[in-house]
Amino acid sequence: MPATTETTETYVTAAVRSDYIRIENFSFYYTATKVLHDITMEIPERKITAFIGPSGCGKTTLLRNFNRMNDLIDGVRHEGRILVNDQDIFDPDLEVISLRKRIGMVFQKSNPFPKSVYENIVYSLRVAGQNNRAILDDVVERSLRGAALWDEVKDRLHESALGLSGGQMQRLCIARAIANQPEILLMDEPCSALDPIATAKVEELMEGLKKDFTIVIVTHNMQQATRVSDRTAFFYLGKLIEYDETKRIFTTPSNRRTEDYITGRFG
Amino acid sequence: MSKHILGTFDEALGSLRNDVLTMGSLAERAVALASKSLFSRDTDSCRSVIADDEAIDELEKQVDRDGIEIIVRFQPLASDLRSVISAMKISGNLERVGDLAVGIARRTRKLNENTAIPEIPMLGEAFRIAQEMFRDSLRSFGGEDEALARTLKDRDEPLDQLCKNFDRVLTEAMVRNPGQVREYLSLAIITRNIERIGDHATNIAEDAVYAMSGRDIRHSDSGAGK
Repeated sequence: MPATTETTETYVTAAVRSDYIRIENFSFYYTATKVLHDITMEIPERKITAFIGPSGCGKTTLLRNFNRMNDLIDGVRHEGRILVNDQDIFDPDLEVISLRKRIGMVFQKSNPFPKSVYENIVYSLRVAGQNNRAILDDVVERSLRGAALWDEVKDRLHESALGLSGGQMQRLCIARAIANQPEILLMDEPCSALDPIATAKVEELMEGLKKDFTIVIVTHNMQQATRVSDRTAFFYLGKLIEYDETKRIFTTPSNRRTEDYITGRFG
Repeated sequence: MSKHILGTFDEALGSLRNDVLTMGSLAERAVALASKSLFSRDTDSCRSVIADDEAIDELEKQVDRDGIEIIVRFQPLASDLRSVISAMKISGNLERVGDLAVGIARRTRKLNENTAIPEIPMLGEAFRIAQEMFRDSLRSFGGEDEALARTLKDRDEPLDQLCKNFDRVLTEAMVRNPGQVREYLSLAIITRNIERIGDHATNIAEDAVYAMSGRDIRHSDSGAGK
């Protein structure tokens, strides 16, 4: 976790990098189809960056490149570079599994494992060989508290995660994603299946999480982007059209296509 | 600008804008009648200004209701958000201009009961400038003319100066004519209202610039700023 360094008396917060994720002239192809065109942008550390744009604009494709999930698809290729904390994520020497440990992901539809709440959280640690009960207990409590879910499930840790409400399941997935203490949290429309109360809980949670994590969220909900994000990127037809502070994008966008999209004039 | 996918959104924004423009027309008429009542000693015009103010007040409430409804129903963003916020702010300024015209009319009605004050025509230039500023502020909003809107700020200073100069004239006249202090005080309040109409015209132009471009030119030295 890229957060603090201890001194003799106090914790000093390290300087926040403005280019924690650096995307340089990045293009991406599904076989012969170019779906991302020469994207260049910098995503700041410990801030929330929102990707918006009409369906098919490439925002999710870019997000899924950050932890190389697109590797699983046949016939894909890319040009350009993506660097996370100065490390090229396409470096042939880089182990994809170690990259994915550093980058957690939460999906549109919550996808808890058909196991207990407890086992959902510790699953990846067990896979990595960690079976120390005290350590696992600590991770479970810390992760569930971090996902603002502890108080609601602390008495049901060993019951099936599938018995939770939709909002609780999504926060469980967030807890699972942060159990490994990643640097980055990717969220692909994390609230699209949630009611307004559950959505508000996840948004409140995100505000707390950004103290420790760099968050990138794909959302179709303009109001959600305005509420939660510090910076917003608008994509259209695979191109990055505009990227700026969120308050600027939603009050005085520079580009006509951004204006037309966020005001509901096309899309 | 192209239409929204949601036609009802365009209708709601159009209706809000029309209400503001109607308010503007009524307030412009009130200022013109107030001017006529003062310089032509036309007490009937005073009565019209006072009677017509209720329509402006009702429209102000209507604009607020419609603006809030648009925010709740459509969650406007970018230029839409700016135009809703600006419409609501401009309507507040228009309501104040209506009240200032009523204030002028009420004082004039009293003045017209007595002998004409010889200094009144000296206020003509200031009133003319205030009226022109107000008319241009409405034109800039209605015609989305940012260049015209940006001229207002610089035109307010000469108006303020004229009003200040006239205040000095009135002070000296009061010393010379102690029996007419009440009338001269009324004229001083009218002068103040004229100066305030110029201020509200400037505010309207600033809000129009914000609606058009998103630039906030308030509290800057001139309309050319930022």
